[in-house]
Amino acid sequence: MDHRTEEFVERIRRGGKVEATDWMPDEYRKLLIKLIHMHAVSEIMGAYPEKEWVPKAPTLRRKLAIMAKVQDEMGHGQLLLRVVEDLAAPLGKTREDLIADIYTGKVKFHNVFHMEARTWADAGVIGWLVDGAAIINQAALLETSYAPYARVLKRICAEESFHMQHGENIILALAMGTKQQRQMLQEALNYWWESLLFFFGPKEVTPAAERMLYYRIRTKTNEELRQKFLDKYVPRIQSLGLTIPDEQLRYDRERKAWVYSEPDWDKFGRIVRENRGPKSRERMELRRSAHEEQRWVREAMARSHLPAG
Amino acid sequence: MTEKTWQYEEYEVFLRRSHQEPQVHVGSLLAPSPDVALILARENFMRRDPAVSIWVVPSKQVTEATGESGFLSREMDRKYREVAGYTENGRLWRMFKEKAITLEEIVAYVEGRNQESKRERRAERG
Amino acid sequence: MKMEQDTRITDGQKFETALKYWLACLADDELTLGHRDSEWLGLCPDIEGDVAFSSIAQDEVGHAVFYFDLLHQLGEGDPDRLAFSRDQHLRRNAILLERPNGDWAYSILRHYFYDLFDDLRLQSMESSSYAPLRQGTQKIRREEYYHLLHMKTLFSRLGSAGGQARERMEEALLKVWPDLGDLFDFGPYEKELLEFGIISLSGSEVRRRWEEQVRDALLSIGFEWPGEIPSSSRSGRRGEHSSDLQPLLDTLCEVYAIDSNARW
Repeated sequence: MDHRTEEFVERIRRGGKVEATDWMPDEYRKLLIKLIHMHAVSEIMGAYPEKEWVPKAPTLRRKLAIMAKVQDEMGHGQLLLRVVEDLAAPLGKTREDLIADIYTGKVKFHNVFHMEARTWADAGVIGWLVDGAAIINQAALLETSYAPYARVLKRICAEESFHMQHGENIILALAMGTKQQRQMLQEALNYWWESLLFFFGPKEVTPAAERMLYYRIRTKTNEELRQKFLDKYVPRIQSLGLTIPDEQLRYDRERKAWVYSEPDWDKFGRIVRENRGPKSRERMELRRSAHEEQRWVREAMARSHLPAG
Repeated sequence: MTEKTWQYEEYEVFLRRSHQEPQVHVGSLLAPSPDVALILARENFMRRDPAVSIWVVPSKQVTEATGESGFLSREMDRKYREVAGYTENGRLWRMFKEKAITLEEIVAYVEGRNQESKRERRAERG
Repeated sequence: MKMEQDTRITDGQKFETALKYWLACLADDELTLGHRDSEWLGLCPDIEGDVAFSSIAQDEVGHAVFYFDLLHQLGEGDPDRLAFSRDQHLRRNAILLERPNGDWAYSILRHYFYDLFDDLRLQSMESSSYAPLRQGTQKIRREEYYHLLHMKTLFSRLGSAGGQARERMEEALLKVWPDLGDLFDFGPYEKELLEFGIISLSGSEVRRRWEEQVRDALLSIGFEWPGEIPSSSRSGRRGEHSSDLQPLLDTLCEVYAIDSNARW
């Protein structure tokens, strides 16, 4: 390790923060780009499952609220893309490229956003539990050594507090509703549970995760976060009279940890790596057409500003 | 890399949340022109928080220095220009049988006196 | 004395009928366009623009909520019932607004033309004899200022960019034009609405002013006036809609219709 890198690592170990224009090791830059690009793209692709329910939202208030929520997700994508753009600028990459990476498969997005939102209750569970999981993930990143990311996360988390209430409100209405509504809710939970466990990533600390911990980009492991999610949400799910579709699930008092059935790591791994989830292709195509087939708009908007000639 | 002859520019966005506060940087965005940047900034950065003023500034126009270069370092003692450097005043005033006062107390007093004089005027009229 | 009272009651009933009809036109216009706007979520040409466009969709639906609330206060069903359970022949929106979004050029041009119309319609209610409408429309008009600015900016830039953008804008203009007729149809109670001072401008006056503004707008980007707006055989204001409305309603009401008595 060269002297500069050593100094850099020592600085962040002491709790120092890094800014976009500071010198940083290539490895640090690349890890950040990979992590934040995936985060940004997950926000944008994460808008789709709920977006599908915007036109069908069952009351005027729900329609407004879910629009606002999906809009926030796009806004989070925007904030995060700006962070990646500054990091990727020295590598010659622009917004145009970062978006194109989605449908050319160069950047991955979270497993949950490859899944189908089949019913209004699915939209509710996404708002409640998928967002809940995402909030835990994001809250754990607030201490990241990369300051521009930390600042954006702070803003995102503030907005997520509305998302939390929004998701819970949909769920509570269904849980207090008719038999049919409660059944919809239970089915939605059954469908999403395994995806939720997978969401936090593999149990073992991968070499990439190891490096992120080393540079204090992350400070907590996947399993720590999954446990926190179970801590917060299992009792609430059960309090609504819902059954979590895992007979093995229990809290082990001695180990002070939740014991759960392993999600199908291979299946979900393939979904993310190969974009082979039920909705992967369709949503990537939406993103492609939004970007490619409307390039003429961006071009026209930029050109109409240029002086003639 | 996409080949193109056009591009969006980066703009920094600043909001003034109330007339009592300075314009604060809240983020940045990509836009084809300043007028569009302003339209986009409104919804991208003040969906929830109201503001009394919003600026967009081409990022290119920003000249920056960060702490890393040493430019912003303040390592040595600067107590002589801070309130914390004058704690002895309290002890010294006591020698004159007076208490130290703070700026906040004076501000509170000034504001309080305004109310008092209003009351007095009202009393005079009444 | 007795006679006078009777006339007042009759006038009161006429007033209410005309007012309710008018409110339904307003509510349905805003809900229908807000719904169409919301279909752009996640699909706009750039991310920042996507966020901004969604605010406009929310504002439109928010305005619809305001008008539905007024209807509810006048004794009609609750706002959700009005929004989600009326058949298409009871929907009063202009046909233009139920059309699918098409491409970005069509969506922007339609929106700009509607916003210009809506601004004039709001002006005609700013001194309305019906106080809740007067107060609400003043607020709404302040919000619509931003919509108009937004749409005008996009309209001007796309229209003056040349190339594909210009071709698409020309196509959009041709597509919008035949659908404009019923926008200015103020319905069977127009006379009462004017007499009672609920509105101060007739449909034809709004149309005259609108044409003046649109003529200037088109001129500013070097477009020709497409000729007189064709009078339409159907009017959405009277519940005569195109085949585009029913699929929209099927989507809009899908979840609500699972159990219209449930709390969602």
